[in-house]
This record gives sequence, C-alpha cells and structure tokens, in this order.
Amino acid sequence: MAELSTSAPTVTAVLASPDACERVSALPGACPISPGEVTIVGDASITALRQAVQRIDPDAVVRDVSDGWAMHTISGERARDAFARLSELELPASGSVQGAVARIGVRVLVEGDRVDLLVPSMLAAHLRERIQDECRELLS
Amino acid sequence: MRPGSLRFEGREIPIQDGDTVASAMFRAGVRTFSRSLKSRRRRGLYCGTGECPNCMVTVDGVPGVRSCVTDAAAGMRVERGRGWPSAEHDLLHVTDLMHPLMPVGFYMKTFVRPRFAWPLAERVIRRATGSGRLPEGRDPSRFTARHVHVDAAVVGAGGAGLAAALEAARAGDRVLLCDAFPIGSRMPPGPALDGIRALEAEVQAERAIEIVDRHAALGVYDGPTLALASDDELVQVHAGRVVLATGATETHEAFPGNDLPGVWLGRAASQMAGLHGVHPGRRVVVVASTEEGLDHLRTLVGAGVDVVAAVVPSAFLDDVPPTAEAIADGELISASGGGRGRVRSVTLRERGEQRRIPCDALVLSTGLAPRDELARMASPDEPVELVGDAALGDGVAPGVSGGYVCLCEDVSAHDLEQAWSEGFRSAEILKRYTTATMGPCRGAMCGRALAAFAARRSEGRDRAAAPRTAARPPVRPVALEALAASVHEVIEKRTSLHDTHLAAGARLGWSSGWKRPFAYGDWREEYAAVRERAGLMDVGTLGKILIAGRDAATLVDRVFPGRVADLAPGRSRYVLALYEAGYVADDGILGALGDGTFFLTSTSGGAERMDARLREWTFRLGLHVHLLDRTSELGAIVVAGPDARDLLGSLSDDAIDAAALPHGGLREITVAGVPCTALRTGFVGELAFELHHPRSGGPRLWAELIRAGERVDARPFGMDALELLRLEKGHPYIGQDTLPDDTPAKLGLDRAVDMGKSWFVGRAALERLARGPVGRRLVGLSFEGGPADAAELRGMPVGAGGEIVGRVTSAGRSPALVRSIGLAWVRTRDGELPAALTAGDATASVVPTPFYDPEGARLRG
Repeated sequence: MAELSTSAPTVTAVLASPDACERVSALPGACPISPGEVTIVGDASITALRQAVQRIDPDAVVRDVSDGWAMHTISGERARDAFARLSELELPASGSVQGAVARIGVRVLVEGDRVDLLVPSMLAAHLRERIQDECRELLS
Repeated sequence: MRPGSLRFEGREIPIQDGDTVASAMFRAGVRTFSRSLKSRRRRGLYCGTGECPNCMVTVDGVPGVRSCVTDAAAGMRVERGRGWPSAEHDLLHVTDLMHPLMPVGFYMKTFVRPRFAWPLAERVIRRATGSGRLPEGRDPSRFTARHVHVDAAVVGAGGAGLAAALEAARAGDRVLLCDAFPIGSRMPPGPALDGIRALEAEVQAERAIEIVDRHAALGVYDGPTLALASDDELVQVHAGRVVLATGATETHEAFPGNDLPGVWLGRAASQMAGLHGVHPGRRVVVVASTEEGLDHLRTLVGAGVDVVAAVVPSAFLDDVPPTAEAIADGELISASGGGRGRVRSVTLRERGEQRRIPCDALVLSTGLAPRDELARMASPDEPVELVGDAALGDGVAPGVSGGYVCLCEDVSAHDLEQAWSEGFRSAEILKRYTTATMGPCRGAMCGRALAAFAARRSEGRDRAAAPRTAARPPVRPVALEALAASVHEVIEKRTSLHDTHLAAGARLGWSSGWKRPFAYGDWREEYAAVRERAGLMDVGTLGKILIAGRDAATLVDRVFPGRVADLAPGRSRYVLALYEAGYVADDGILGALGDGTFFLTSTSGGAERMDARLREWTFRLGLHVHLLDRTSELGAIVVAGPDARDLLGSLSDDAIDAAALPHGGLREITVAGVPCTALRTGFVGELAFELHHPRSGGPRLWAELIRAGERVDARPFGMDALELLRLEKGHPYIGQDTLPDDTPAKLGLDRAVDMGKSWFVGRAALERLARGPVGRRLVGLSFEGGPADAAELRGMPVGAGGEIVGRVTSAGRSPALVRSIGLAWVRTRDGELPAALTAGDATASVVPTPFYDPEGARLRG
C-alpha cells in the first residue's frame, strides 16, 4: 500500500542567469525548473545562496517562497503505482522531474518509494482530493 | 462440473469447467444468439474469437457482450438483445422479406422529407435496431487510469508475441506484454497450446516483462503511446517501440447463406468441439484451404464430430481423415437454410458440376486476414512493427459472391452492388454510404472484403492490392467510462481563506478557475457597507508577479503601452497588456518597489497568461529579467469604504494617511502583525487598500480585520456586490465586457496608452488602426423602463432604428444613482454613436462613465 501525507515545506526560489543557477542546481533538494530558475526544497541559507549566485549574476533573486507551495508525499510500496495513475511523467529512481500531475503543474522529487509532489498552495487541496480519488484502493 | 448455472431468459443453464457464456448456451441448445441489425436475420456462433457481432448478448444488464470470449460464471443473467417479442420469434424479421423495398440508404432517402418526420422516424428506428439499453446507475469511478513506461510494448500474447517479448527482455528492454485474454485461454489442447505454455513459462520467469492480460489494445498514438482497456482500467503505455503480434482472423467469405446459423469459422468450431466438448453440428462440412484449416478438421474429427465432407486443395487430400469424404478443389457456392434459418445443406462446384450436400454445419477456414489495424493507424515514422500472422500482408482477398459482407451493419453484397451503381465507387465512400465496416468489429471481419469488392469493380485492379479504409481507434469496443477514467476537467483553485469563507456561510461559486465567495448573505447589505462604512474582500485570486533584474524597467516599458518606466518607487499605475495586433489581452496594476523591481497584479483569470507574455517578451527582446509568479504565495485582501483607513489604522502602527499612502501609492506596512504590500487602488470607487500578504498570514489578517471592523459594522463582500460596485465606476471586466478584438480606443482606455513612446507591444497596430474610424465602442448606458432587476438586461441585444447595433455586457440597478445602468458595446455610424437605443423592453441612452463619483473624490480620500 501507499500512504499520503501533506506538509508545508521550506522552499527557496533562485532566479538567476543560467550559469549562476548551475552553481546551486546540484544542492540537496534542488529542482532545476528552467535554465534561469531553480527551486530548492528543504532548509537552505538564503544568505549563502544569494552570495553563491550573485557573484555571477548580481541581479539574481533569491527568495523564501514557502507560502506558495505545499507538499503531498506518497510513500510506500505502491507509491509509484499511485503516481502512475496521476501522471504520464516517468519517474527516475531518484531525482526530480516537473510536469502535469492530475493536470496540475507539479514539481516531483523522488527517492526510492517516496514521491514528493510540490504543488502551488492554491491547488494543494484540489490535488490532494484527486490523489485520494484516483488512488483510493492503493492508499492505506 | 463447475457448480452453478447461469440464468438465460428465464431458464437455468448449467455451466461446465472452462465454459464461455456462448459454449454454455450452445450446449443448452441455443442456436440463435442474436438478430441482425436491420433485416433481423438469425445469427449464430461464427468467429469464436470475439471479432464478429453474432454472439453479442446482454450479460447482467450490460449489452454488447461477446459471449464467445466471456467466461461463464454462476448466477450470470444472460439475455439476447434484439427481437420483438423475442430473439427466437422476432416479428420484425419481416424486414428481411422487405429488403428489396429497403435498399441501402433507405432511411436517409425516405425520411428526409418532411423534416418533422425524421425525429419521429429516428426514435422508431433506434428502438427497432438498437443494441440494447446501457445500464443506469453504475458507478463510473470503478474505472481507473494509469500510465506505464517501457522500452517495448508487445501486443498479443500468442506464439509470436511471447517470442518477441522474450527477445526484447533478453536484450535488456523493459517490456509490457498485453493481450485481450489470458494467455492460451482460447486455444484447444494440442501441440500448439503446449508450445504456448512453454513460452509462457519463460516469459513468466523474466522479471523485465510485465504481463497485462485481459487488456485489449484500443489504438496506437504518437509517441508511440498505446492505449489498453480492461473491464475496470485504462492503461496508457508510453513505449520506446511497439511490437504488434495481433495475429489474424480467419477470412470472412461473402457467399449466399454465409450468415446462417450453422456457418462457422474454423477456430470457433474447433474450440467448441476441442475445448468445450460440444459438437458444432450433427453433420458437418469443412472447407479448409490452409494448414490451420486442416488442424481444425483434425480437431473436429478427433472430438468425434461427424464430418461428412472436407473440401480441400488437392495437395491436402492425403491429410483428410478417412472418415470424411475428401473433395479436392471444390468451390463453395452457397449455404441453404431450413426451418429457423439454420444451415440444411451446402452447394459446391466439384469438377464443373454443382453438388448439394445435406448438413447442419459448415466450417470454413480459407485463409487469414491479418489484424493490422493498429499498425495502419500509427504514423509512418513511429517505431511500430508487425510480427507473426499480423505481418502476413493482404494475401488472397476474400470472395464476394453474395450473402452478407458486413455482419455488424447488415450490409449485403447486393447492397454494395447497388451503392456502386449509384456512384459510390471506392471502399471509403462505400463505407460511408452503406456503413459497412463501421460496426462493433471495426472492419476486422469485413474490411478486406469491402476493399476487395471495390478493387474488383474498379478497372479489375489486383484485389490483393485493394486499398483498405482508414483504421482508427478504438479497434476494440470500449466502455465510455474507461475513456473517461483519466479525465477530470475541473481544476479548483482556492485562496488561503477558503475554509474561512465556508465557515462564514458564504455562497461560493466559480470565477476564473477559482472558488470565490459571491455573497455572505444579502449582497445589498454588503454593497451598502462598502459605500457607507467599510467592506472586506478576498482578492487573493489576483495574479501577482515580481519583475526583477537590470532590464526590468525596459521590459515593462516595452510590454505595457502606458508610461511606466518613470514610475517612482512607491507608486503604482493602471496598465493594459496588448497583443501585437493592438487588442487588449489583460489589465492590471503595476507598482514600483524601489529597488528596480516591480510588482504587477493582473486579473484573476489572467495570471498565467500575463506571466507567459512577460517571459516571451523577455526572451524576444533579449532582456536580463527575472520573473517570479507569486500568485500562489501571496494572499490579498481589499479594505474599502469611507471607514477603511480608520479600520486599518486600528491594526497598524505604520502611516497610512493620504500623504504617506495616497491614491495610487504602494507601501510596505504591517497589519495585525502580518507584513503587507499595501496598494491604494480604486476598483470599487471608494477609499481602498489592497493588502498583499504572505498566504499563511491570510486567515489571521482576515480575522483581525473582521474583528476590528465590528466597530464600524464592516462586512465581508463578495462577487455579487463587486459586480455593481465596479459597474457604478464604469470599470470593464476584461473578458466579460470586452471582445477579443477590442482595442484601448474601443474600450475608452486611451489614457492607458502613450503613443509618444517609440515602441511597445501593439504600437504599430494601434497606429494603423487610428487612421480609421472606431467601429465599435464600449459605452455607459442609462436605462429607462425595462425589468425591475436590470441585471436581466445583461446579454441583451442593443437596438437602434430597428437594427441590432450592439450588446449589453453588464447591467444592474444602482442603489447610489437610483437608476438602471449598464455597459454595452455599440457600433458607431460615421464615427458617431446612435442616439436612441433599446435593450429588451428598456430604452437606453449613452452616458459618460464613471456613473458614480465621476471626479473620483471618494477614492482619493
């Protein structure tokens, strides 16, 4: 079975030139969104990040955007089966992908049998209902 | 014997181990399994592979179930579909006798005049020919959908499919192997099944192969993506390549009497005798042209079936069991029926002489028709390959000498001849005119016969090269519920105050993809609170975008037509966004934050479009700009009304007086401990503060504002009150009050355009359009007469001099003005607006906007 839980993650947005973004895209929890944007999920020092990217791009924007995001986590043996009901995205063994999950733009972090869905707060309740509906017999 | 029985039209039919519904029915003496669509001819078991429509029955209320491939289960309720009063004694069989009077195209030709007759005729025809009633009240959510990613998808788990799956897996591929049925379940015992079982064991041992049985492939789409459906699931397989091992059906020959009960294809007869132990007839004639046909012959004889004659090529004569008369190279002429329409004899031509052989079953195995529809619907450059019998090619085309070509749609060879004579002279238009190949078998049985007929009639072309009609999904019948399983069109956005509004008893409704409060009680009281005291509104739905980077000022100057580059820190300005054609795309408020960055709000439904436009122009202009969509991150609350400043001041230590935060001002303040970007806006026409705050602080901020507002009897207000408040100010809603080709001039929003700027998006178009007259304007109307609730005028055509010259886009009864007002687009004549207008029962006159507080003294307060 799989379990569904919801949390309020710490999320930092880094908007910078591509080469500046590259400097932080390998950090733990980093989700490269585009050449000029990286989202970092988890505790991160904004000051340190700012220093890292503004050395290359003085205009770079580094902001705590935690309020804009919610995290739904599907974990357990059937977590990937549950995800397959929601999205055509192919999950890596570990890492991150982004795309449509239940037709909502979502950033997905994967580690083994744990799938974290980073969803805009305004859509969090809707996505949770979709997960519960589509995966009801897979969720404990 | 498997315990139990199924219930068939009021009687119990025992089930044996391994029975299908059809085998149980046949063993119990049922010979007529269905009635044909139009002529109501009896139809018996024919293909045995789930292709043809003959065995379709209603099982447990579900119509269209192919009984030959449906496992029998105790307690099943089985009924035949068509037949009045019953399928066994169908009085509508008279239509078969009237066939000469009801040629192909009869319905379209006969009932087209008078026009009123068609709806009536359609109902009668539907009732007479329909294929059963869909069950009501079933839970559609029993279907689920899922996606699968593999390197190779193999369709068909016969010998070729199993071998292909093994080969791919052993080459390191992740493989999905699917089949409509359990592996080997439709094969009689024998060496072929033994071979399948051996391969199946190897496949089962391969961890890289996922076996998905009981899933029929519906179609191949670009990707390639393969769609599969079962009784409760839709699977979309995203594959690196697709291998189609879909096999072949036995050739459906069209000859007189070919649809009589008692005419069988070899596989069906072989299964019935070899797998289920039921003889297809007491005296059987077999026509076998292939090795497979010989296998069927052997199976029948081995099962004790009395095969009285076997018609085979001379090369096969030695393979005919001695108990059957071997007839070399005989030509099948026709099958004749007797009572209850069953086969009574077969007529052959043997060495130039016609010969009639009495029998009650005719078994045909004359060739194979590859099931290649999935390959034919795939784009040519997709990695899709055919293997096994599916790759046989067209081979020998079936004969079409009479009888029924399309069993599903009841289209006879005679019908095709007639259609041809009427000028429908290709397989594709014959298909459209006669509906041949458009039935439940999707052309699997008759597609090649139709193509062969067309090819033979057109200049004697090679029949084997006959063009086939287009193959389209689904190639197998599928429940609409399965197709809908993955579809959930409605996406609901919620602000942080959603639960708060529900707790307050708000009436929520849809607005631009958001669920928003329309009213908390009487919207008139909410309106009055805003005009007379103070009101609070959740506007967290507004788009909110941060624009940063060294070229931020350049971007906003180029994207927005107004003068914004010089916007002083702490000031905001109304902006329009234009398409390059000069048409209005959206509007919003742009504020300068002071560090070279800008904060932009857009309409609630326009945030994503606005963000996309800014990104597009950043890229196209090669600017160094960083954009952050903060719509989800920030909430927003409007505090509006004459007492708004007092209310807000009671919760903030920051200066918010007219000097510190004037109309159009922007300032960071803290309200009830929540940091806010405060904008002095004027959408409702009163002193108003728009408080953009971290989403997590929304509930607290709202609660504190409500509490503090009690002192002045402030009220939360919803969309209903807002509709009138903004209408009184003459503010258009982009989308509701505008048309797709509205320019700023048409909307009276020239003030948001600075043609003195050398370039902005849409400038060239506006310059060109300015040379001609403005053909239409959005204007304010004042109504006289008409409905008491002027909102009913919304959508009404606007008339002038007996002509329709416009349309009312917004309307309402203004409490402040004590009259009915509205916005409407009205066509101009020679640049002038018509003087006397009507809308419904009301007369209307064009008046300047804003209707309310035209000097703006209240909002500047």
